[in-house]
Amino acid sequence: MSTKAKITLADLEHVAKLARIKLSDQERTVFLPQLESILEYLDKLNQVDTSKISPSFQVTKFTNVFRSDVVKPSLDQKSALTQASKTHDAYFLAPKTIDK
Amino acid sequence: MNLSYLAISQLHQAFLKKEISTVEIVQYYLDRIQKFDPQLNAFITICSKEAMNAARTLDAKLAQGLPVGRLAGTVMAVKDIYLTKGIQTTSASQVLKGYIPQYSSTVYQRLIDEDAITIGKTNTDTFAFGASTENSGFFTTKNPWNLNLVPGGSSGGSAAALAADLCTFALGTDTGGSIRQPASLCGVSGIKPTYGRNSRYGITAMASSFDCPGAFARTAEDLALITQITAGQDEFDATTSPEPVADYPDKLNQLSLKNLKIGLPQEYFSGSIDSEVKTLVLAAAHTHEKQGAQIIDISLPSTDLGIAVYYVLVPCEISANMARYDGLRFGQSNRDSADLLSYYLETRGQFMEPELKRRILIGTYALSAGYFDAYYLKASRVRTLIKNEFTDAFKKVDIILAPVSPTPAWPIGEKANDPLSMYLADVYTCPVNVAGLPAIALPCGFTSQNLPPIGGLPVGFQLIGNYFAEPQLFSLAHQFQQLTTYHLQYPKL
Repeated sequence: MSTKAKITLADLEHVAKLARIKLSDQERTVFLPQLESILEYLDKLNQVDTSKISPSFQVTKFTNVFRSDVVKPSLDQKSALTQASKTHDAYFLAPKTIDK
Repeated sequence: MNLSYLAISQLHQAFLKKEISTVEIVQYYLDRIQKFDPQLNAFITICSKEAMNAARTLDAKLAQGLPVGRLAGTVMAVKDIYLTKGIQTTSASQVLKGYIPQYSSTVYQRLIDEDAITIGKTNTDTFAFGASTENSGFFTTKNPWNLNLVPGGSSGGSAAALAADLCTFALGTDTGGSIRQPASLCGVSGIKPTYGRNSRYGITAMASSFDCPGAFARTAEDLALITQITAGQDEFDATTSPEPVADYPDKLNQLSLKNLKIGLPQEYFSGSIDSEVKTLVLAAAHTHEKQGAQIIDISLPSTDLGIAVYYVLVPCEISANMARYDGLRFGQSNRDSADLLSYYLETRGQFMEPELKRRILIGTYALSAGYFDAYYLKASRVRTLIKNEFTDAFKKVDIILAPVSPTPAWPIGEKANDPLSMYLADVYTCPVNVAGLPAIALPCGFTSQNLPPIGGLPVGFQLIGNYFAEPQLFSLAHQFQQLTTYHLQYPKL
C-alpha cells in the first residue's frame, strides 16, 4: 500500500495546530515544499516487506524498570519556581483556561 | 611548561607533580578562548569566573594533601544541551535563552566529581537537531581547519573547541552521528557508547530511544577514561544498563589484532562517498590488516533505509519530547496572548527555530491518526531489520570498520537551505543509532585539497562494535593511534 505522500496546506495547518505551533505565512510557504520532499523520501520504507517483522520501539531488552516507592529528597519548591517567567506565591502562573 | 594540545593524562600528571597549577591551566585555555573564539564561535557561554574559582579550590585541595579526582588538572567544554546547575543552558535555542538549570546532568556531575573543570558551554544545532551546527539559534561555529567550512554537527562547538585547543576534552551527544561526524570533520576522536551505557538524565531530550551522551578527546586513551567515569546505571534514567562498566583504561592493550575479524560493509563504500574519503578509510583498514587482522567484506542490505527509518522515528520522538517547551515553568514565553491556546501557539511559534518546527511537524504528522501505521509502525519494523542485520554481521566479524561522513567538511551555507540534503549526510552514522550499538570515530588522514591556511581537511573513520563492546573498541582505537599520527595533527589558527 503506497502512502499518500503529498501534504497539503490544510494538512500543514492542521498538524501545526496539533503541535501548538503558530506558523507565519512565510514559514508556511517555505516549509510546505520542504516537508513534501522529506515525506516523499520517507516513502522508501515501502520498498521492503515487513509483514512478518515485529516492531522495535527501543533497543534495550528491558521492560518495566521499577524502583521502590520510597520518598527521597528532590528539587525543592523554591528552586523549581526560579526559572518561570510568571509565578504567584508557590504557583506557576499560566493564562486563563476557563472563561466564566 | 608548554600546555599546547595536552591530553588528560599529561595534564593530570603535571598537576599532581605540581609542575603546573590548575589556575595556570585554566588561564591558558581562557587566553586561547579570548584569542580564537571570536572567529570560531564555539562557545555560547564562557565560565571564566566559575572556572577560576574551581581551579583555586582544586589547587588548595592538592596543597592540603587532600585526595583529588582522576580528572584533576583538566578542563572540559560542555555541549549546551547538558544541564549544568547554576550555569546558563540554552540548547542553542531562543526557547531556553537565559535558562539557569537547578540541577545537573548525571554524566556532567560524574565528571565534576572527578575534579574536571568546566570552561564553557558549546554551540550546537538547536536542541541537537542538525549535522552542521548551522541550525543553532545563536550563531554558526566555524571549522578551525578552514573558517569557511562547517565543523559538522550537531556537537560542532565541542569538536571545534577541542580541535582549537580551547579545552582538554569536550562533551557531546550522538543521536544520528552528532559526535562521530563533527569529530571526523574536525580531526579529533569521539565516542558514541552503546545506548544505555551513559545516563541521559539532565540532557535535553531529542529522541529518547536514540540519544547517546558521549565525548570528544585527543586520544582513545582519554575517551576510555572519560567513559569509565561517566558510564553505568543511573536511578534517574530507567534506560541505563546494569551491565557492569569494565576498567576501560586498564584494558587498552588487551585486544589482539592478530586474526581479529574486521568487517567492511560494502554498502558504506559505494554510492555518495567521496573518493578520497574512501581511499583514506580503506587505508585505515589496511593498517589493521598489516598487524594481522582479517578484513572481511560483509553486507548490511538495509543501509539505504537507515535515513528513512531515522527521519520517521526521530521526529516522532522529538514531537513528544518538545511538548514540554511551553514557556510556563522554564524558557521564554509570549505573555501577551489572549487565551491559553493562543499562548501556546504564539510562544512556540515565536521562539522555536525553523528546524525545531520542521521536525516537530514531521513527527506530529507521522504519529497522527491515519498515518501512524504507515510511518511510525512501519519504520519501527524496519528498525528491527537493521538491528538484526548488525547482529547477524557480528556472528561473522568481531568489529565493523566504516567511513563516518561521505565527504569532508563542506562550505557554510551550502546545505543550509535544503533540509533533506543535510539529512543525507547521516547515511553512515545513523544506522548505528537505529541499532543502539557503540562506535568510535578516529582521524585517519587528510584530503589533498590545498586550502588556506594549510593543505588538507581531516577525514575520520569509525569502528563499530557489538552491544557493550566498548573495551574492544577502546583497545583497537588505542592501538591504531600507536601506529598512526593523524590524531596528533592540529589546525594552524
